[in-house]
Amino acid sequence: MSSNDPLKLIEQYLERVRVYLPLDSEDAIVELQTHLIEEAQRIGGGTMTAGSAMMAIERMGDPKNVANEYAGSGKKVGPVPAEYANPVSRIVIVLLAIAAAFITGISLLGVALTDLFGASIQNWPFSIPIMIILNLVIIGGIIGIISLLDRDKPLTEKTTLESIFGLGVDGFKPKGRWDALGDVVMGIFWGIVVMLPAVVILYTDAFTAIYMVVAIFLFLGAVKGALFYLGGENNFNLALEGFLSVVWIALAIVLINIGWPVRYVYSYDGIAWSLFDLTDFFTSYDIPFVPFDWIWAFIMFITVVIAVWRVIVASMKITMHLRAGRKLWWQGNWGERRSLRTPLWKRILGEHDQFQKQSTVRHDGYREPDESQ
Amino acid sequence: MSMSKKTEEELDRWSKEVKRGAVTLAILALLSKRRAYGYEAVKLLGEKMSFLALEQGTVYPLLRRLEQRELLRSEWDYEDPTKPKKYYAVTEEGQMALGAMVKDWSILSREMREVVLEVE
Repeated sequence: MSSNDPLKLIEQYLERVRVYLPLDSEDAIVELQTHLIEEAQRIGGGTMTAGSAMMAIERMGDPKNVANEYAGSGKKVGPVPAEYANPVSRIVIVLLAIAAAFITGISLLGVALTDLFGASIQNWPFSIPIMIILNLVIIGGIIGIISLLDRDKPLTEKTTLESIFGLGVDGFKPKGRWDALGDVVMGIFWGIVVMLPAVVILYTDAFTAIYMVVAIFLFLGAVKGALFYLGGENNFNLALEGFLSVVWIALAIVLINIGWPVRYVYSYDGIAWSLFDLTDFFTSYDIPFVPFDWIWAFIMFITVVIAVWRVIVASMKITMHLRAGRKLWWQGNWGERRSLRTPLWKRILGEHDQFQKQSTVRHDGYREPDESQ
Repeated sequence: MSMSKKTEEELDRWSKEVKRGAVTLAILALLSKRRAYGYEAVKLLGEKMSFLALEQGTVYPLLRRLEQRELLRSEWDYEDPTKPKKYYAVTEEGQMALGAMVKDWSILSREMREVVLEVE
């Protein structure tokens, strides 16, 4: 949907450009944003309107060409045109990373791939390249049809193809500052909860033997959160995140084998609190303990998938930063989306956008139609 | 007399080649007098160098390349949070390169003028 807010138009356009840029292109986006605002103000005679913003955007041109020319963002890779090299490689990495994360998670649960897909694949393994080629042809056809449907969309509106290509963008954004603070608070909170004597007596014998390792890991997570809160995303913090994720994967192998960690729950009979033995209850009534084991396996699976994803993203980003000549520590960015508009809470307190939506009224009283609402 | 299509094509090719070398010198020369942010640099070049007639998309990658080659350095100015500005200025290395380029350019333009005058 096209907006009448000039700042929203610029943000929407920049979101489209971002899809085609390499991962470390926040500087380029900010430079483009400043350029568009100043150009729109110049066109509007000092005032930015939806019309002037739209003209500035049209002068800038097609997002994929802008990204390619502006940031020199890509070289032709095989059959992939230069403009599409970044989004295609990003989405391939995302798919491979998701596959790697899921395979690792499934393997930790002790499920073989053949159990999932069946061992009866015809002409294994020669069927694999044929399947890939067939799928690529189908994808090519779908992309062609989608592009045809999108051809009349305005410059500020993401095409369906860009929405697909943009899927990986969020996964690679730096951790937000408030998310980092959340890691600190939750790490300390759960670290303390796991160690509370009233909680420790609820554990199974096997989990009691290792709960301190889990507590230490949670506190390390809080330290990592604090470092991200202070220093943003830099090589040290990324390396720490990658290291802790690897440690978690190793720990998860042990935790999966230990199984559901809680043996007792508190029960109140109207007079006093006592411990209710879950295992005894299930075995005495011949009920299998399966639901709890499955819940535990599912929790471990999800955390391992996230950990593998973090290892992959951290390694990619560290390589990227090292190539850019950065060292171990610097004041990095946080992943909050920069918004040109004043947040709601500030608007409630009476602070307004620097750029107000203003109608351009001509000398003869004519008002630009796209700003009249 | 109007130009033929072939002449237009040749002129187009030649101007692109000339501009490619000249724009680096123009940017270094403009930024050696005072630092400027991207949009300012685009407008300055547009005003002072009509021959170059640079697309705005051409200036930014060039600024970035010159920065990577350490001929320019940049600094962010967040004074206006809605319009953060990346200011570019010429480095010491850039000043030396500019000096050498200006020297060569003077020789080139003098010699070219002499050769062209002979043709005219």
